Amino acid sequence: MIEVVQQVVDGLGRGGIYALIALGIALIFGVMHLVNFAHGELITVGAYTSYWLFNTDLDWWLVTPIVVVVAVLTSVVIEFVAFRWVRGASDFTMLMTSFGVHFVVQALFVMYVSANFRQFPRPGWIFNTVRVGGVSLEVFDLVVVSVTLASLLAVYWLLQRTLFGISLRAAAEDFDAARLMGIRSNRVIRGAFALSGLLAGVAAVFWLMRSGQASPTAGLTPMLKGVLAALIGGLGSLSGAVLGGIVLGLVEVLLISRLPGGIAGLTDGIVFLLIALLFVFRPQGLITVRHAERV
Amino acid sequence: MSRDPIRHLAVPAIGSALLFTLLVAGGLLYTSFGGLAREGLVTQMFINAIIVLGIQIYVGNTGVLSIGHIGFGSIAGYAFAVCAISPKRKGGQIPDAPWNLAEVDLTPLESGMVAVGLTVIVAFVIGLGLARSGAQSGAVAATVITLALLFVVHEVARNWIDLTRGGKTGLSFSPLGNATLQGRGWVYILLAGSILVARLFRESRTGRLAQAAREDDLAARSMGISPPVQQMVALVLSVAVVSAGSALRVFELGSINPRLFFFDYTLLTLTMLIVGGRSSVSGALAGVVIITAGSELTRQLSGPNVEVAALDWLLREGLTDIFLGGAMLGFMILRPSGLFGDLEVDRWLMRFSRRREIEPDRPPVGAVSKGTLTARGVTVDFGGFRALDGVTIEASTDEIVGLIGPNGAGKTTLLNVVTGLVEPSSGSVEMGPQVLDDTPAHEVARAGVVRTFQNLRLFGGLTVRENLEASRLIAQRHRADRPQPPVAALVVQAGLWELRDRRASQLDYGNARRLELARAAAAAPDFLFLDEPTSGMGDAESVAMIEQVRAMASMVGAGVVVIDHDLNFITGICDRIYVLDQGLLIAAGTPEEVSTDPVVQAAYLGASAPANQ
Repeated sequence: MIEVVQQVVDGLGRGGIYALIALGIALIFGVMHLVNFAHGELITVGAYTSYWLFNTDLDWWLVTPIVVVVAVLTSVVIEFVAFRWVRGASDFTMLMTSFGVHFVVQALFVMYVSANFRQFPRPGWIFNTVRVGGVSLEVFDLVVVSVTLASLLAVYWLLQRTLFGISLRAAAEDFDAARLMGIRSNRVIRGAFALSGLLAGVAAVFWLMRSGQASPTAGLTPMLKGVLAALIGGLGSLSGAVLGGIVLGLVEVLLISRLPGGIAGLTDGIVFLLIALLFVFRPQGLITVRHAERV
Repeated sequence: MSRDPIRHLAVPAIGSALLFTLLVAGGLLYTSFGGLAREGLVTQMFINAIIVLGIQIYVGNTGVLSIGHIGFGSIAGYAFAVCAISPKRKGGQIPDAPWNLAEVDLTPLESGMVAVGLTVIVAFVIGLGLARSGAQSGAVAATVITLALLFVVHEVARNWIDLTRGGKTGLSFSPLGNATLQGRGWVYILLAGSILVARLFRESRTGRLAQAAREDDLAARSMGISPPVQQMVALVLSVAVVSAGSALRVFELGSINPRLFFFDYTLLTLTMLIVGGRSSVSGALAGVVIITAGSELTRQLSGPNVEVAALDWLLREGLTDIFLGGAMLGFMILRPSGLFGDLEVDRWLMRFSRRREIEPDRPPVGAVSKGTLTARGVTVDFGGFRALDGVTIEASTDEIVGLIGPNGAGKTTLLNVVTGLVEPSSGSVEMGPQVLDDTPAHEVARAGVVRTFQNLRLFGGLTVRENLEASRLIAQRHRADRPQPPVAALVVQAGLWELRDRRASQLDYGNARRLELARAAAAAPDFLFLDEPTSGMGDAESVAMIEQVRAMASMVGAGVVVIDHDLNFITGICDRIYVLDQGLLIAAGTPEEVSTDPVVQAAYLGASAPANQ
C-alpha cells in the first residue's frame, strides 16, 4: 500500500510535467490544427538559458521566471518565423514544418553552443523527502504536482473567464467563424503560442531540475512525451491533454517499477509500443472528444 | 481506355531509363574529376536514392507521412549484418546470439533476401495496424505509429546486446569496420530497379487508386475504392525497396550501429524526398541530388580546410544540419509540393502520345435490366436527436426521383444511410434481392450505388481524366456487367474535353460539379445519388444541369435520386418526389401532386396550413 502511494505520487510528478507540455501542444493544435513537433525546442532553449544563468551563480528562484519568459518569447518568435506562413496548409505540410523547425533549432545549438552535454548543479532540496503517515514522498514530486495544479487552474481561469480565453476557445472551435465575428486571428494565435510557451517554460524548469543537463537534443524526449500525452487525450481537448499526461506518467512509473531488470532499459520502447497499439485501436485517443467540448 | 499500355507502361519505362541514365552519367562525370572520396560520395548518393524512392512509393502515393521507414531500414540492416558477417567475426562480436545466429553463414545476396523478406513481414503487420488506425493523407495517428516504430526499433537495437552488440560499437564486417562493397554492380542494379518500380507503381492500377484516396479518402471510398488495400500494397513494396537499399547501405559502410538508422538519417531522406517533390519519382531523385550536393558543399565549407575569418560565424559544425532543416522548412513554407510537384521527366512524351487524340462521339446507350432500390423504415438517432423517423423511399433504374425538404429535414442523412456512411438505428436498404445493411461505403459503391457530395469532393490534385479513370478502374473490376461508356465520352458529355488534362482543383464551380457527376457515372452505377448538384449555380446553369443529369444517367443506364433546393430544377427533372420534414416523410408523388399538397406548403412556408400529422 505504502509503495503504491509512493508510486502514484511519483507518477503524478512525472505526469504533471507531461501534462504541462501536452497542454501547450493541444492549445496550438486547437487554434491551427498543427501538431507541434518543435515544442520541445522551447525546453532546449530553457535548458541552455538555465545553464548560462547558473554559471552566473543565480539562484533557482530567479532562474525560473527568466526561463519561462525566454520560453514564451521563443514560442512567439517561432510562430512568427515559421508557423505563420503555413497556416491553413495541408496537415502534411504543417507536420513537416514543425519537424523543420525542430531540426533547425537543434542545429543552431550545435553550431553556436556545442553538440555536447552541459551539466549544471541542481538545487539540493529536490532530493529531500518528507514522511506523511509512514509514506516517504519526494519534495520534488509534491512541488511539481502543486505547481502543475496551480498552472492548470490558472489556464482554466484564463480560458473560461477572460476575453482572450474566450476568443481562443472560439477560434479553436471554428477558426473562420471566429474571424468573421471579429476575433483577430493573429492575436489569438500569437496568444496561444505565448501561453503554450509559458507552460513549456514551467515544464522546462522541472524537467531540468530532474535531468540537470542541457544539450541540443534536450527537448526531444519531453516533446515526444508531450505529443504522446496530447494524442492520448484526443488532440485538441485541453482536459484530455492533462489527463493524457497523467496517464503517461503513471504508466511509466508502473513500467519502471515492474519491469524485470534485464529489459528495464526498454521502458521508453515499451511506452512507444503501447502508444502505437493505442493508436491502432483507438486512433482518436483515449478520450473521444465530443465536438461541443472541443477547446 | 484507362489501361493504356503506352501511357502506363511504355512512357514511364522510358522515363525511368532516362532518369537512371541522367543520374549515373552525372555521377560518373563527377567522379571522373576526383578521387576515391568522390566515388564514395556518389555510391552513397545512389544508395540514398534507392531508399528515398522506397519511401516515395508509400508517402508519395498514399499521402500518409511515415517517419518510420528508416526504422524498417534498421531492421533490414541488422538482419543483413547478422546473416552476412562471417561466423568467425560474429564469434568475436556476438557469440551469444540467439537461435545460433552466430553460426549462420550466408552470402551477401542470400542475406539481402533474408533481410528484405523479414522486413516485409514486419511491414505487413505494421500495415495492418496502420489500416486499423484509419491511415489517410495527413493522419496524425498513422504518423505517430510509424514514429513509434522508429523509436522501438532503435531502443531494441541498443538494448538487445546479444544480437546487436548494443549502441556503442555496433556490428562490423571487418576489424576496421571499413567499406566492404566490392564493385558497384548491385548498386546500379538496385538503383535501376527501384526507379522502375517506383515509376511504374505510380501509373499502376493500385498506385492510381492510392493517389485518388490520397486526394480525398471519403470520396474514394464512395467511389468503391478501399484505400487500406492500396496502402498495404504500397507499404509492402515501399519497405521492400527501403530494405534492399538499407542492406546495401550497411554492406557499403561495412558496419551498422543503432544511430545509423535513426533521426538524422530520417531527416536526410525526408528532406531529399520533399525538396524535389514527394509525389513524383523524378522529383524524389532531383531532391536526392540537390541535397547530396548541398550537404557535401556545406560539409566542406564547415570543415577545417576552409578558413574565412569573416564567415567564421557561419562556417562551422552544424552547418550541414542547418542546411537540411532549412531546406525542409523553406520548401514547406514556400513550395510545399517540392520543385517538381507531381511532374515526371517523361511528361513531354505523354503529351506527344496524346496529340493525335480526337474528340470521341457519344456511344449509344446499352440496354440494362430494370432494378429497384428500397430504403425501408429508416430511423437514425444522433444522440437524443431523431434525424430520420421510419422513412421509406423507393427508386427504380428507369426514373429520376427527387428528395426535397427544408434544411435539417434529414435528406443528406438518408443519403448517408443508403451509401453506407451512417448506420441507421433501424430500417434496411435493399437493392433488388441484395441487402445493403451493415455494408461499408466502398462495398455499397461496388454494389452499384454511387453518390456525389453537397460540398464537392473531387480528387483535386488529379486531372479531370484521372478523376474519371480512378472511378472506372473500380468499375472494370466490380461492375463488369454494366455498360461502361469510354471515359473520353463521359468527359465530352460533361463539357470538359478541352480541360481534360487540367487539375480538378483548377476547375471553376460549374465544371467541378459536372466533373463530380461524370466521375460518379464512370463508376457504372445502378443508382446515382446526387446531393445538391445545382447548389451555387445560376438559373441558366441549373437548367442545363437537367439535361446533363439525364444524359449521364442514360449513358450508364442508372436511376437517379437527387436532393436539391432549386424547385425549377427538381420539378423539371423528377418523375417522382419525396418530401421530408423534420425526419418524417410528409408527402410523395409526382411534381404536380407534391407542389399542391397543403402539408408540403405548410412545411415550406410555415403558413396557416393544417398542422403536421
